[in-house]
Amino acid sequence: MKKYQLGEFEEVVMLTVGILYDEAYGVSIKKEIESRLSRKVSVGALQSALVRLEQKGYLRSREGETTAERAGRPKKYFQITAYGKKAMEYTKSTRDELWKAIPKVALDVKMVG
Amino acid sequence: MKESAVGSDGPPKIFLRLFRWYCHPKLRDAIEGDLAELYHEHVTASGKRIADLRFIVDVLLLFRPGIVRPFQHRQPFYNHGMFKNYFTTSWRNLISSKFYSGLNLLGLTLGLSVGLLILFWVNDELSFDSFHSKTDQIYRINVNLESSGNKFAVPVTQPTVAFYGLKEVPGIKQAVRVSDFSNYSVFRYQNTALKGNVTVYTDPSLFTLFDYKLLQGDIKNPFPVTESVILTQSAAKRFFGNEDPMGKVLVADNKDNFVVSGVVADFPGNTWLHCDMLFSTELTKKKYREWGWRPFDEEQWGNYGWITFLQLQPGTSVKAVEDQLTKINIKHQPTLKPVDIGYYTLQPLRDIHLFGSDGNPTGMQTVKIFSLVAFLILLIASINYVNLSTARAVLRAKEVSVRKIIGASRYQLFLQFIIQTLLFFTIALALSFVLISLVMPVYNELSGKSMHFDLFAPETWKVIGITFLATLLVSSIYPASLLSSFQPAQALRQKLSWGVGNASFRKVLVVCQFTFSVGLILATLIISHQLQYVLGKSLGYDKSHVFSVNMNNMGGHYEKVKAELLQQKVIAGVTSADNNIVNVPGASLDVDWDGKDPNRTIFVHSTKIDPDFLPLFNIPLVEGANFTGAATDSAHFILNETAVRETGIKDPIGKRFRLYSMEGTIIGVVKDFHFLSLKQKIEPFVFSYQPESSRLFVKASGTDIPAAIRAVEKIWTQYNEGFVFDYSFLDQVYEKNYQSEERTGRLFSIFTGVAIVISCLGLLGLATYTAQRKVKEIGIRKVLGASVRTLSLMLSKEFMVLVLIAIVIALPVSWFLMQQWLEDFAYRDNIGWWVVALTGIGTVLLAFGTVSIQAVRAALENPVKNLRSE
Repeated sequence: MKKYQLGEFEEVVMLTVGILYDEAYGVSIKKEIESRLSRKVSVGALQSALVRLEQKGYLRSREGETTAERAGRPKKYFQITAYGKKAMEYTKSTRDELWKAIPKVALDVKMVG
Repeated sequence: MKESAVGSDGPPKIFLRLFRWYCHPKLRDAIEGDLAELYHEHVTASGKRIADLRFIVDVLLLFRPGIVRPFQHRQPFYNHGMFKNYFTTSWRNLISSKFYSGLNLLGLTLGLSVGLLILFWVNDELSFDSFHSKTDQIYRINVNLESSGNKFAVPVTQPTVAFYGLKEVPGIKQAVRVSDFSNYSVFRYQNTALKGNVTVYTDPSLFTLFDYKLLQGDIKNPFPVTESVILTQSAAKRFFGNEDPMGKVLVADNKDNFVVSGVVADFPGNTWLHCDMLFSTELTKKKYREWGWRPFDEEQWGNYGWITFLQLQPGTSVKAVEDQLTKINIKHQPTLKPVDIGYYTLQPLRDIHLFGSDGNPTGMQTVKIFSLVAFLILLIASINYVNLSTARAVLRAKEVSVRKIIGASRYQLFLQFIIQTLLFFTIALALSFVLISLVMPVYNELSGKSMHFDLFAPETWKVIGITFLATLLVSSIYPASLLSSFQPAQALRQKLSWGVGNASFRKVLVVCQFTFSVGLILATLIISHQLQYVLGKSLGYDKSHVFSVNMNNMGGHYEKVKAELLQQKVIAGVTSADNNIVNVPGASLDVDWDGKDPNRTIFVHSTKIDPDFLPLFNIPLVEGANFTGAATDSAHFILNETAVRETGIKDPIGKRFRLYSMEGTIIGVVKDFHFLSLKQKIEPFVFSYQPESSRLFVKASGTDIPAAIRAVEKIWTQYNEGFVFDYSFLDQVYEKNYQSEERTGRLFSIFTGVAIVISCLGLLGLATYTAQRKVKEIGIRKVLGASVRTLSLMLSKEFMVLVLIAIVIALPVSWFLMQQWLEDFAYRDNIGWWVVALTGIGTVLLAFGTVSIQAVRAALENPVKNLRSE
């Protein structure tokens, strides 16, 4: 089933957009990922991921308010679409299935190693 | 940290611009907002430097697919192959009709070359003194006087103005005085003795005020001692060759020694100052002290001999400085009435070349006239191109139609013909470069300039670029839009109904062309006629065979020398005076007579002469008698008629007259004679007596002039050992006064010649084309019995009507415009109506000659040959 394609970083972005719900725009998403996962996110990587996700129809955007710090440019808020939700659920369920399929022994060994 | 946030002035501009450029427009605003927000945070958190750095990294990392805007479909249509094809067809077209291309190229090359040459001249005129870094702050002081309704301004002033001005007027930053008194005639270094060096006296500030480059010497102290001299580079070369001139000693007139304290780069052609040697004003001051004159800086209020330049502080009111200086001047001369002292005006340095000291745009007028001529010549050349290329458009009709049928858009065809014109013009321009560089030396000689044709100078390209683009624009648009407008179906069927309308447009253009040419011809004739008149006019005195020489050390032996000279058969007369009669510009207000109106002043020119002066120059007396040489003559005056009229003295003989401190009586009145340029009216003149003056005038009898010169030289050198015998004929001095007019006239006639040649080339092309088109008609007419004469007339008629219309328009317009030029001359002579008529007839003949060559050739051809085909 290649129906829903979602890369690792894309998934993180989708989840974060979900967490922020009504407050998800470029900078807030970036900060949220950086604080929660303590990893650096470049504006370029984030923006290209957002563009891709919007093109795939997982996210939709609307224009928001402007502030002085933004030099008069509007914020662009993102929201998860129904289709996007399906894609996330699909990804999660495939993961879960895979998890379940792992024999307990295999994991034990790993932990020791 | 907070401070840096306050002081931050946004992210690095260049990266922001880069981002805006490459980012997809849909994303641009939101991402830029994010970047700005982050930047703002970073500045507050870690300072501007770090924030900038992060911003730059972000911008660079944002450059990735998905964010970068698509480039491909924004690019305009460009088709390399098509352009190549345009060039190929243009080139083939050019090659295939060599006659027309040749005519067209010749006309265009001539037009461009002459147009460019004139514009180079104009550019040079306009560039005068614009190279100084302080040009806009520098002003020259002019003295203005008004006498008996005449306004009068001189560019020279007293040395004291600069001295007091610097002390008392706050806006004046620097001042420099320059004067070209020549106290010495020969300078010698070891065995090299040179005369004819132009010497000036100047303040050291000359080098800080103006951008004259001091190659050697101290700019802060260019004249370390009073007896210092600064040479120009070429003067230094003449004296010292390749030796280092610094510290070398020049001997002046075998008596005074000067130390070379500096070398200045040769003065460029486009500046007001031209000299070979510069002395310090300190030397002038010393000389004044030695002669017992009043102090130079403080009290020389009557000495109008110094060109003075001021540098004003930026923002200073010129009017205020003028008023303050005028007040200073009046304050220091309490014995004179303010009206006699006059007032000062400051003239911007940029204007002094093209405007007279009274603000008259004398030079500017010539510049304007020449610009107009350049414009007309370029227009005539452009019209030629338009006419020849549209006339031959028929031949391209099929090509255009086929291109259109295949699918060429009108825009493409338009482009094709623009490119063709461009190619043509580029070839013409290249050819005119060759032509210009060939004639540049001759042109320089004619115009009295030293211009270089340097293809790598930006200045050159400014002129070339504007000219080229303007002519290209004018000549390309009409043919291109006409050619691209053909309807293929009609054009292929040879139904060229559009041809009627556009032939009449061509006729209008031919009329324009000839109107310009005929106008220029008449203008040239009027100018040369006026100059002939001026140079040949009876001046009221006879200066033929008279030459003059400075007495120098011969002073004191005048009577003896005169007696010796008069014994020679080759010498007809000898006299002495303190002015050269050819030009006596200086005038004084310090005169008085009985019955003088105290509120009215007049300028009087004066010269000191001996009794032989009037007979030698053949100036007739109207009343009274000449000086006799008696001692009482020192209190006698001879006036000219104008002086008598202006002063209003009735029965002048025996009346009292005062000139400066000289009181006396009037003993004679001479007929008016011209002692100024003929542009000016004759002014009041007074002769006073002096048995011996600084200048010796010798009239040769005319049989053997070289012998007369040798005789004078022999005696002169007896007294002036070590000096160079330097004489000048009055005729030559006189002609020099009209040099610039003569130059203008000569250049003008050359330009006119070129204009008429280009016009005729165009006419020739059109006539040839018409003859070709009518070849069958001519054949049929001939078969039916028409004579060669009637056929030629038929072909010529069409064009002759156009030329006649042009003449009718041009002659009155040009005549009217030239009257304004003539108004500059106080004495002028208008050309007769027959000259105007001759201009018209000449043009008609020239045009007829050009056209009939083709007409006769077409008429003479064997009709069978032309009718056989098809």
